[in-house]
This record gives sequence, C-alpha cells and structure tokens, in this order.
Amino acid sequence: MQENVIDQSKDITILELLDRVLNKGVVITGDIVISVADIDLVYLGLKLLLTSVETMREKHLAIVKTNQETK
Amino acid sequence: MEKIIYAIIASNHGHTELIGTMKGIQGISGSAIYVLSFNDISVAVSDFTPSKYTINKELAIDFARVIEELSQQVTLLPIRFGTFLKSDKNINQLLINHYDSFLNNLQKVENKYEFGLKALWDYEKCSEKIRVKAESEAVKAGDYFSKSTIHTNYLLEKINKHRLEDALLKHVEQLIEEISRHLAQINPDCKFKKMVTRSIILDAVFLVKKSKKDDFIQAIEALKQQHDDLHFLLTGPWPPYSFVEITID
Repeated sequence: MQENVIDQSKDITILELLDRVLNKGVVITGDIVISVADIDLVYLGLKLLLTSVETMREKHLAIVKTNQETK
Repeated sequence: MEKIIYAIIASNHGHTELIGTMKGIQGISGSAIYVLSFNDISVAVSDFTPSKYTINKELAIDFARVIEELSQQVTLLPIRFGTFLKSDKNINQLLINHYDSFLNNLQKVENKYEFGLKALWDYEKCSEKIRVKAESEAVKAGDYFSKSTIHTNYLLEKINKHRLEDALLKHVEQLIEEISRHLAQINPDCKFKKMVTRSIILDAVFLVKKSKKDDFIQAIEALKQQHDDLHFLLTGPWPPYSFVEITID
C-alpha cells in the first residue's frame, strides 16, 4: 500500500492484502492456464489462513472492547 | 519455465515508454518483469516455475508488492494471484481475445484508488438492543394459534428468529444508506456486503477519484466520530482489486 496506511495494524493490512490477491482481480481459468499439482492445495491453505486470521481478529476486537469497558 | 502474469496495463504512450516506466520493478522472488503488448494494452509477466514449495503466503505478499509498485506508475487491472500460463503466445492471445473487456475495465479504474471499509460491532451487546425492540413487536401465540402446542411453539420460535434477523439486516441497511448519504459529495463507486460474519456487519469497498482521496479519508473519519458503537477499519489506497469484473474461462 502507498503512504496512507490508515489502519496501522500490520496484521489487518496483511489480511486485507491477502484477501485481495487471493480472491479478487482478473480471474483466468481454462485450458490456457497451467494447473500445477498441489497448487490448489497450497491455495486452499492460504484461504484457510485468511479465515483463521479473520476469526483471530474478531476475538482480538472483542477482547479490546471488553478491556475498554472494564477501565 | 512457466509465465506468471501480474496485471493488465494501460499503455497509451506505447510499449517502449511503458518499459522505461517500469524500470527497476522486480517480479516475485527477484525475477525480471517483461511486458507483452497489443495495441494500447499490455500485460506484465515474468518467468516462474510454480510448485508446492514456491507457492506460499510470502510469495502472495511479494506478488501484491509487485502489483502495488506497478500501480504507482501505471493504470492497471490486477490479476488474481497464482495465474500461470505456458507461453508468451498464450498471453498474447489472451490480450487479443479480451481486448475490449480489458480496455473498458481500465477506463473505469483510471485515476482512481480503492479503499476498504469494514464496520464491526460487539454482536452480543448491539444485537441485544435490536432484539429487545424486535421482541416488543414479536408474534405472540394468541395472534396465530388458538392454543399452544409443541408445534405452534416451534413455529413461533422460527418466526421470531426470522424477525430478529430481519431487524439486524434493516439496521445494516440503514447504516449503508447513511454512509452513502455521507459520501454523496465524493460520489465513489461502491460495493457493500452485509453481515459478513456476526461481528463484521459491513464490508464495503470504494473506488475513489485520486483527487478526492483526502476528502474521502476525512469523511470516513467524521463517520467514525458519529458511531461509538461501531469499530471502523479503513484501509487503502489499494490498486483496484475489487472493481475488476473479468472472469475468463
């Protein structure tokens, strides 16, 4: 990202970045694309990572909120 | 050796000038980027052999770095990570076959940034408020059924659960309307996903004119001040990942 990284949290930025490169952009499939053995599995692994980071973030936010309320 | 493609690029000023513009940008894992062109569009490519050992999170991040660096120099459409083609001939054919579609999308994103905005809430706390309101309007057994049985109770439970979900959704739709009104002056293209998870009630992306970038950021900051019950995550500017609508089979 360029100079304006508004949310400074590195984890969130990486999560947003992975979400974009894995799930968005021009999608090309079919005969012209090389299907390499195991690539789909690795890709799936990256998506699972994305999901786990998402869950982690939700939990983190819930903890932050609870801490703020108890102060 | 396979080819990994990064982005479709507007090359209005010609192939040679484009190569000069991109000088110094390295591909993933230090590979050299080269450009293939057709008319006024090009594609950034490098040689790369994919395997389960080379495709990982770090490489995906490096891929994003390449797109980011390219986007600072040219208008582009990012390609989804992990797209490998056999030869330059295949890539040239791709440019020729989908020229119109690429050009239309490039024009749509020219001189614009993408921003992401997520709205999160404390589900238990916030939904409780909405639940109380929904329950005050909840269907009572006597409204529908002359007597209460296991079956009627089951149906009532389902009806009232649906009413709560409906109330939550209406709450999110009101938020979307408010955001849209709030950003009317900036007039970005936008896409909204509602209730992505229990915590993320809204996942929005905006395509904002570069000249309106600061206005947009200020508008979102003002919005944050108005909602202490929500947590907003604003990220960007990004290359226009979410505003590319091309799927090639």
